[in-house]
Amino acid sequence: MRRLAFLCATLVVAACSSEGRPILIGVSGPFSQPRGVSMRHAAQLAAEEINAAGGIGGRRLQLVFADDSGSEDRAVRIAKAFSDSAAMVAVVGHLSSNTTLAAGRVYSASADPLVMISPSASSPDLTGFSPYVFRVTPSDLNQGQQIARFARRSLEGGSDGGGVRRAGVIFINNEYGRGLRQAFAAEFTGLGGAILEEDPYLPDTPSLEPYLSRMRQRGGVEVLVLACERPGAELALRELRQLGLHWPVIGGDALTGIEGPLAEGVRFSSTYLPQQPGERNGRFVAAYARAFKGERPDHRGAGAYDILRLLAQAISVVGPDRDAIRDYIAQVGTTKPAFEGVTGTIAFDANGDVPTKPVVIGVIRNGQLQAEAAR
Amino acid sequence: MNGGRLATLRWRILLGFGGVLAGLVVAAIIGTAALRAMRTAVARELQALQAASLVGSGLVSTVFDEIRAAEQYLNRPADEARRDFQLAADEGSRYEKGLEQLEGLSLEDRLTVNRIKGLQASIQVDYSIAHALKDLGRDREALGRSLAVRDEARELTRLVRDLSVRQAQRAGQAGSRLEALAVRRQSFLWIVLALTIAAGVLISWFTLQAVELPLGRLVTAAERFGAGDLRPVTTGRMPREFQVLADAMRVMGERLRGIVGEVICESDRIAGSAGDLSAVSEQLAASSAEVSTAMVEISGGAEQQRNELNAMGAGLDRLRKAAGEMAEATGRVALLGQEIRTVADRHRGDVLAAGSALLNVREVVQTTSTQVQQLAEQSAAIDDFVELIKRISSQTNLLALNAAIEAARAGEHGKGFAVVAEEVRQLADESAKAAADVAATTAVIRTQVEDVTATMAAGQAKVRGVESVAEGAARGLAEIVAAIEQVEQAAARVTVAAQQNREVAQQLGERAQQVGGRAVSHASSAEQVTAATEQQGASTEEMAAAASALLQGAEKLRSLVKEFRV
Repeated sequence: MRRLAFLCATLVVAACSSEGRPILIGVSGPFSQPRGVSMRHAAQLAAEEINAAGGIGGRRLQLVFADDSGSEDRAVRIAKAFSDSAAMVAVVGHLSSNTTLAAGRVYSASADPLVMISPSASSPDLTGFSPYVFRVTPSDLNQGQQIARFARRSLEGGSDGGGVRRAGVIFINNEYGRGLRQAFAAEFTGLGGAILEEDPYLPDTPSLEPYLSRMRQRGGVEVLVLACERPGAELALRELRQLGLHWPVIGGDALTGIEGPLAEGVRFSSTYLPQQPGERNGRFVAAYARAFKGERPDHRGAGAYDILRLLAQAISVVGPDRDAIRDYIAQVGTTKPAFEGVTGTIAFDANGDVPTKPVVIGVIRNGQLQAEAAR
Repeated sequence: MNGGRLATLRWRILLGFGGVLAGLVVAAIIGTAALRAMRTAVARELQALQAASLVGSGLVSTVFDEIRAAEQYLNRPADEARRDFQLAADEGSRYEKGLEQLEGLSLEDRLTVNRIKGLQASIQVDYSIAHALKDLGRDREALGRSLAVRDEARELTRLVRDLSVRQAQRAGQAGSRLEALAVRRQSFLWIVLALTIAAGVLISWFTLQAVELPLGRLVTAAERFGAGDLRPVTTGRMPREFQVLADAMRVMGERLRGIVGEVICESDRIAGSAGDLSAVSEQLAASSAEVSTAMVEISGGAEQQRNELNAMGAGLDRLRKAAGEMAEATGRVALLGQEIRTVADRHRGDVLAAGSALLNVREVVQTTSTQVQQLAEQSAAIDDFVELIKRISSQTNLLALNAAIEAARAGEHGKGFAVVAEEVRQLADESAKAAADVAATTAVIRTQVEDVTATMAAGQAKVRGVESVAEGAARGLAEIVAAIEQVEQAAARVTVAAQQNREVAQQLGERAQQVGGRAVSHASSAEQVTAATEQQGASTEEMAAAASALLQGAEKLRSLVKEFRV
């Protein structure tokens, strides 16, 4: 909170010295964690590009970054502070499903509701959650389905040759993990697969070894589904190696950014790959690499970049008014043209979702995320 | 148009009682609306409370189901216990969602909800790992894991209870807000009622004034007319019904005044003529005395006699003329009497018409009082409504009691729910009390309506009084007609006397002619003259008697007319 206050104070000072009052947009995610880095960088890049091109309607775009550390409590407090600040016109965030759900209720219930667009919150609970909450990533219902289909149809190592049959699921016990697990389980069993067990964990769970040992004791699984966030997935991979197990591993887009030797061969659903074709994406990836020492953006960064571009477009049309921006965003893809971004085409349905966005399965090969060709 | 309508009693009463009725209707509408608003607000608060307590108790019981199934599995691993555990965990997440969707959560509440979610997730994870360890045969580790759950479960129960208590407190605040609203509405209702009553009293007062004052003035005027005081009366402004009557009386007074004035004038003239006549007859008597005493000089003074006769002839001419004028005057008196009678008859008709207008007024008052009576009957509907609210609240009370019993049965874990049940019970009591207040208010309204009805009955009685006064006025007019008849009779008598007088004067004239003739032709025949003079003396006496009768008649007429003050 103190950091937030400090940020706001610096912004006010900056605003007074620059031309006219700036337009404030809040950006909130777990910036103190590795998964939040790309989102922060891409947002900065977008703001710099927009301001270099003359700002929005001649006014500077100023971002207010607030670190929610993935905590629902902090997200709720940040949402309260953003909503209560009259100068704030929109919010980019939050990054994960649990924080988006917790904060989304506060933004929507505010006396002057604030529109928020999440780059990567994928819980099915967010579908139709609130007229003020949008996201540019497909729901886990979609991602879980894609993971299940890939595992059942395309993954090698199944006893019947046409994909795997026995799956074990480890899920983080929050909205994201439960949503992805349920979507996967429904599709996988529907396709004739069997689920050996579904085991919950939390970020403070010291070890997943008992789950893995029990799976081994019961005869092992043909695929281990990690409906986890990155640290949990890394813990599972580490313990898997320690137990000498080599089950194929597949997860959701929360695994994005996973790296190191353990990550080799890990598959996960993704709505964005840095190397995906498209002139816009090429320019974005190049600019990103120039600005941040050769780094590559992930789907959260690309999403945040698109959201800021979309918000800038909305504000330049309807002005910096919370309700007007919300109404504009809600029409994108229906009565207003869809937005062509680096992640692809963004067109919102009535539930604030982007159902037309494709989900691909990526795989880490030689430390690089690549698209896995579906068979 | 409006001003014209307002000037009549009928419209004043219609508008006045219409206003009172409208006030009462407004009061009834406000009362009903307030009740309805309170009912919906109470229902909303109850619903929110119910939702909060349902979710809270559901969540706590699910967590305990989860713990029971989990412990059961740890004691004796069985698929059934494992399934129960899984089901309870999933059920728990559903309740969490319900908890998050509760309305009106503060920031503090949201943080509590987050903590509850975290604890529940943690309990599930701890047991899941404990189960895995148990399945792997690592019982000691499993026991260590499961022990960690106890504190988490205790903390979770406490948090859910806190949340419920806070919701209940908010419901209590909403209750007091509602109460304040009810008090405000009630005072507004009182003000409207007070205004309506004040308006009713004012209207009654003004109506009575509008009837009594002009009526009093008219009665005074009629009494004055009856007493013969025909001077103009000023009645001032009054309702149109009375204005008609007053105008009629004014016109009648003017006509009577004119007639009586003329009669007085005529009678004065008659008296004057009679006086002249008697003076002439006295002169005549004196002349005839002179004639008798001068009989001796007659033969010598024929010239003088002729002169005397000539003078007498002129006197007789004057007498005849005076008698003619008097007969004409009395004829006019008779004619004017006829006219007075016609006028009085016509005004008696007007008075009767005014009486029937008053009958209309009485009908209007009667209709209005019937309508007020109907309003009183309709207020019974409010009573039914209040009864319904009372029934609902007593039922709610019962439900709250049942809930409290269930909570008591649950022991320690039911404590939070017991608090909620108590709050629900109190809310039900409050609404029952509010309903009782409304019932009392309705009763007051009904007494007021009864008062208004009584006032209107009094108004009806007044109107009846007005009718009897109008009848009195008609009677007074009849008496005037009778008085006029007497005047006519007196005038007739005067006419007869005047006729006689004229005849006598005629005779006298003829005889004087004869005497004159004889005096010129037979100056010497003194005996004849003496005899004629004697005859003339007797005639003069007769004439004097007639003149005195005429004077008497004129005096009587004057004294009769004197009773009128013009």
